[in-house]
Amino acid sequence: MAFLNPWLLLGALGVGLPILAHLLNRYQVKRTDWAAMRFLNRSVRVRSRQLRLRDVLLLVMRCLALLCLVMAFARPAMKSAATPWLPGEKRAGVVIAIDASYSMAHTEAGVTRFARAIELAKAVVAQSQPGDPVSLVLLGGEHRVLLRNVAYDPKGFDTLLSEQTILPEPLDLEGVPKFLKDLTGDMDAPQKEVYILSDTQSRDWGRLSPTLRDAFRALGEEASVFVVPVGGGDENLAVTGLDLVSGTLRKGTTARYRATVHNFGSSPARDVEVRCRVDDIQIDDKRIPLIAAGSSETVSLFVPFHNAGPARITAEISGDALPTDDVRRVVAEVRERVSVLCVDGSSGETGGLVTSALLARADGSDDENYTVQTTQWPAFPTQDLDAFDVIILADVPEVTPEQAHQISRFVRRGHGLVWFAGDRIKADVWNRLSGDTEDALLPAKIGEAIDTRDSLGIGKPLAPDLPDHAVCRPLRSLPEDLLNETRFTRRLRVEPRDTCFPVLSLAGSHAPVLLEQSLGRGQVFMFTTSAQATWNNMALTPVFPMLMQQVVTYLAGREFEQPRTVGDSLALSYVEQPDASDAVFDTPLGQTITVPVREHRGQFIALLERSREAGFYVARVSIQSPGLPVAVNVDTRESDVACLIPARLQEQIKDTGVTLCTSESQLTAEIEITRTGRSYWRFFAMAALALLVLESLFADRILGRTHSRRSPDAQPVFQAEVA
Amino acid sequence: MSEHLTKTHYLDPEILHRLQDLEMVAREAVEGLRVGSHRSPLRGFSTEFSHHRQYAPGDTIRSIDWRVYGRTERYYTKLYEAETNYDCYLLIDASASMNYASGKLSKLEYAKFLAAALAYVVLKQRDSVGLSIFDSQVRAYLPPRSSMSIIAQIDRLLREVKPVPRTTIAKQLHDIALMVKRRSFVVVISDFFAEVGDIMTGLDHLRFDGHNVIVLHTLDRYELEFPFKGTWRFEGLELEEPLTTQAERVREDYLANFNRYLEAFQAGCSASHIDYTTVDTSRPLDAVLSEFFYKRQSVLAGPSVGAR
Repeated sequence: MAFLNPWLLLGALGVGLPILAHLLNRYQVKRTDWAAMRFLNRSVRVRSRQLRLRDVLLLVMRCLALLCLVMAFARPAMKSAATPWLPGEKRAGVVIAIDASYSMAHTEAGVTRFARAIELAKAVVAQSQPGDPVSLVLLGGEHRVLLRNVAYDPKGFDTLLSEQTILPEPLDLEGVPKFLKDLTGDMDAPQKEVYILSDTQSRDWGRLSPTLRDAFRALGEEASVFVVPVGGGDENLAVTGLDLVSGTLRKGTTARYRATVHNFGSSPARDVEVRCRVDDIQIDDKRIPLIAAGSSETVSLFVPFHNAGPARITAEISGDALPTDDVRRVVAEVRERVSVLCVDGSSGETGGLVTSALLARADGSDDENYTVQTTQWPAFPTQDLDAFDVIILADVPEVTPEQAHQISRFVRRGHGLVWFAGDRIKADVWNRLSGDTEDALLPAKIGEAIDTRDSLGIGKPLAPDLPDHAVCRPLRSLPEDLLNETRFTRRLRVEPRDTCFPVLSLAGSHAPVLLEQSLGRGQVFMFTTSAQATWNNMALTPVFPMLMQQVVTYLAGREFEQPRTVGDSLALSYVEQPDASDAVFDTPLGQTITVPVREHRGQFIALLERSREAGFYVARVSIQSPGLPVAVNVDTRESDVACLIPARLQEQIKDTGVTLCTSESQLTAEIEITRTGRSYWRFFAMAALALLVLESLFADRILGRTHSRRSPDAQPVFQAEVA
Repeated sequence: MSEHLTKTHYLDPEILHRLQDLEMVAREAVEGLRVGSHRSPLRGFSTEFSHHRQYAPGDTIRSIDWRVYGRTERYYTKLYEAETNYDCYLLIDASASMNYASGKLSKLEYAKFLAAALAYVVLKQRDSVGLSIFDSQVRAYLPPRSSMSIIAQIDRLLREVKPVPRTTIAKQLHDIALMVKRRSFVVVISDFFAEVGDIMTGLDHLRFDGHNVIVLHTLDRYELEFPFKGTWRFEGLELEEPLTTQAERVREDYLANFNRYLEAFQAGCSASHIDYTTVDTSRPLDAVLSEFFYKRQSVLAGPSVGAR
C-alpha cells in the first residue's frame, strides 16, 4: 500500500492523546450526594469492571477513529489486481493527450481523425469516476494543457472537448513523453494512466529515436501509457510552395510565381486545379494533369499588379481530404516605382555594365517606373537617399564616415545596398568604416584580391549556396552549361562576419561570391568580385542581368514579403523609437493582439513570439495605422498523413512500456484490466466518522459528558436572587 | 424597618421589600389573645355582630337586644364574632436529606430563607410567630411572640442548625403537636422524604388538634426532574447505601416513583384539609412566596371551609 501524502502519517503519533486522556480519566465516575434515594431503582447497577471495560472500549474507539482519520488524510492507495475484494474504490488519474496537429483534420467518410480522437477521449473518461484527477492536453508544435490535474466533471469535460479545434501545426512528438511525464508527476492518484490519441503518422512514429524511446520508457515508469491510433488513409495533396520566380513587384508589371503541389498519397492525382487569388480575387488558374504518388509538380502563376501596396496572393487547390494544407500564401509589397542609384568608382565601365544588366528587358522596351541613375564617385549625391530603393556601390574606393553613416541609415530604414569589389577598393578604409561591430555596414572584412583560376588558368563557376534563396531561384531555371559558362578569375579575400551568410559561392571552393547581411530593416549584398571583365565574365552571360534584377527585386521588397510558418515569431521593427508604445497584430481569425515595442541592439522591435494561425496576419505600428499583411502558412511536413499500420507501430513501441489499443473495445478492455489502483481514503474517512459518532453516542450515554453536577446551567436561579 | 432586621442573615432587605404587601391570613379560625385581624373561634362580645340567640338563663342581661324584644316581645341576646391575632409555628425539617443541593443552595438553606421571610410577614401583621426545628428529634423550639425582636432569635437559631440524619417524621410532628396548645397556624417546611402514611400520621395529629396546617414541600429541581446523564454514584444523605448506576436507565423509574409519591402525599394533604405547596428551590424566593400567598387568597375568597 502506498500513500499519496505519506508525511501525514506522522499524525498517527496523535494516538497518544486519547491514551493520555484515558490514563488521566480512567475509572472516574461522577458522584453526588442524593436525598431521594428511596425513589432510585437499585436493581440497575454499574459494576467497576463494566466501567473499566467501557473505558477501554472508548479508548479503542478513539484511537481507531484517530488512526482512520490519519489514514484518510494520508490518502492510502494500492495497485494490485490480487485484492479485488478490498472495499476501496477504483480510482485513477488520467492524462488524455489528443494529437491536434493538422493532419488530424484528414477526413474519411465525412469524419475527421480529430473527431474520432474526441470520441475515444470520451470513452476513456467514461471509465473514470467524478472527482478523479484528469488532465487534458492538445498535442501540436506547442502542447496546450486544457485541464491540469482537475477533478473530473463529466459535463464540463464533454463541453470542453466539444469546443476544441485542430491546431495548424505539426506534431512535435519528441517533446511529448517528457511533457506528459511532468503532467503525471503533478498528479495525486493511486494509479496514473496516459492516453495518447493520435493518427500515428509514419513521419512521427515510423522511426522512434532512442532518446524518444527512453523518454516513453520513463513515462511508462510513472504511468500506464496507451497509444490509441485514429489513423486512416494516406491520400493528400498539399500546396507546398508559392514563390516569386521572376518579375519586379511594381505597379503595372506582372510577376511570375511558382506554385508547388505535392502528392503525399500512394496513388497518382489527376487534374489538379491550382487557383491563384490576389486579395481574394481569382486572377489565374492552372491545371496539373497528373501528379505521381510521392512527387511534386509546379505551375507558374502570373500575377499582374494593378495597384501599389501590399497584395495578398494565394495558391490553392480543393477537393482534398485535408484542407488545411491546400492553400499557400505570400504577400507582395507592390511599389509604385523602383529607383536604383548606381555609384561607379571605376572609370565608368562597371557602372555601365551594372546599369545595362538592370535595364535589360526581354522586349527591349523602357519602363518609366523603373529607373537606374548612375553617378560617378566621388560625386556621391547629397540629396535625400530615400528617393532610391537600392544603392549599388560599384568599385567605390572609399566613402567618408558621413557618407557611410548616411548609407547605413538608408539601409536601416528598409532599403537595399549592393556592394561590388573592384580594382580601386581601399580595403583598409572600408574595414575601418565598418569596424568590428555587429551592425557593420559590410558583411565581411575585406582582404586582398586573389586569383581564383585553376592550374589551367580557368576561372571557377558559380554554385548557389542557398538554392531556395530568392536570388538563386531564377538561376536554377538556367541550363547547367549556361550557368557553368560564368567563370570567376579574381575575388577579394574576405572574412565574413557572424551576422552574414553566403548566397553564392565559387564551385568547389566554397569561397563566397555573394554575401547577405541584414542591417536594420534592410539588406546588404556584398559581391566579393567585380562586374568588370578582368575579374570574371559574369557580365557577358545571361546570369548577370538575371542576378542583378533579382537582387534589386529582393532588396526592394519588404520584410513581410517573406512568408512565415505557423509557430514562427512575427517582428515589426522600427527605425526610430515609435510614438506608440505598443504594436498591434490582427490574427487571421480577427483577434487583435497588442505587443509592446522593445529596444533590442539599438532597434525598436515589436515581437509577436508565436504565430498560432495560418492565414494573413496584419501588423500595425498602432491601432490606427495601416496594416502590413504577413502571410503565415502551415508547415507542410505535417502534410504527409500516411499512418503506421498497427504491426509497425507495435514494433516501434516495443519495450517502451507503451500499450497499443487499436480499437475502442480493446481500449475499454485494457482499462478494465489495467485499472487496479484503489483508493481507500474515503473508506477510512467513513470509518473514522462512524467511529467518532459511535464514540460520541457511547461516551454520552456512559459518561453523560454533556452534563455535570456543577454545570453552570444547573444553578438554581434562586441563588442569584437570594445570595 | 426594624433595627432587628438589619442584623439578620436570612432576611434580605430587597426580598423584604417585595414581601411588604403580602399578608398571611388564617384560612380557618385561630385562637388569639389580642384583638387582631383573624377570625376567633370564640363568639362573644367583641366588635362585630354575628347573629341572635334566644336568651338563656345565665346570659348577661346587657347582651339582650331590646329592640328585638320591642318588636317580638321575646328575649334574644346579640352574639358578636371576635377577631383575634394568631400564633404561627414554623416547623423546619433539618434532617440530612434537606442538605441536598444541585446548585450552591441546599434545600435546608432555602427553607431557612423561606422561614425567615414567613416570620417577617407574620410579625408584620402583628401576629405571633414561633419556630421549631426538628430532625430525628425536636432540636430547637422558640415559643411564639409577636415582637419583631423575635426575628433576630429566629435568625440566630436558623444559623445554628446543622443537618442530622433522620429515620421518621411522624414522631417529631407528634411531639410538636403536643407542644402547641392553642389552635394555631402550623407551617411545615420539609422535603418529606418518608413514607406518605408516616407523614400523614404526623400532619393529621396537628390537624386533629385544630391547627391550620400548611405544608411547604421543599424540593430541588434535580429531585423533580432527575436530569443526570451517564454513570453516577449516588450517595444517600440519610445513611442509605450508595448506588452506582446509569442515570438514563433509572430516570424513568425514578420519576414514576417520585410522582406516585407526590400524588399520594398531595391527595393525603387534600383529604386532611392541609394546604400543600411544592417549593422548587431553583425558583426565586419572592416568586415562590408571592405565588403561595396569591394561591391562599384565591382559595379563601372562594367557598369557605367550615371551622372545626
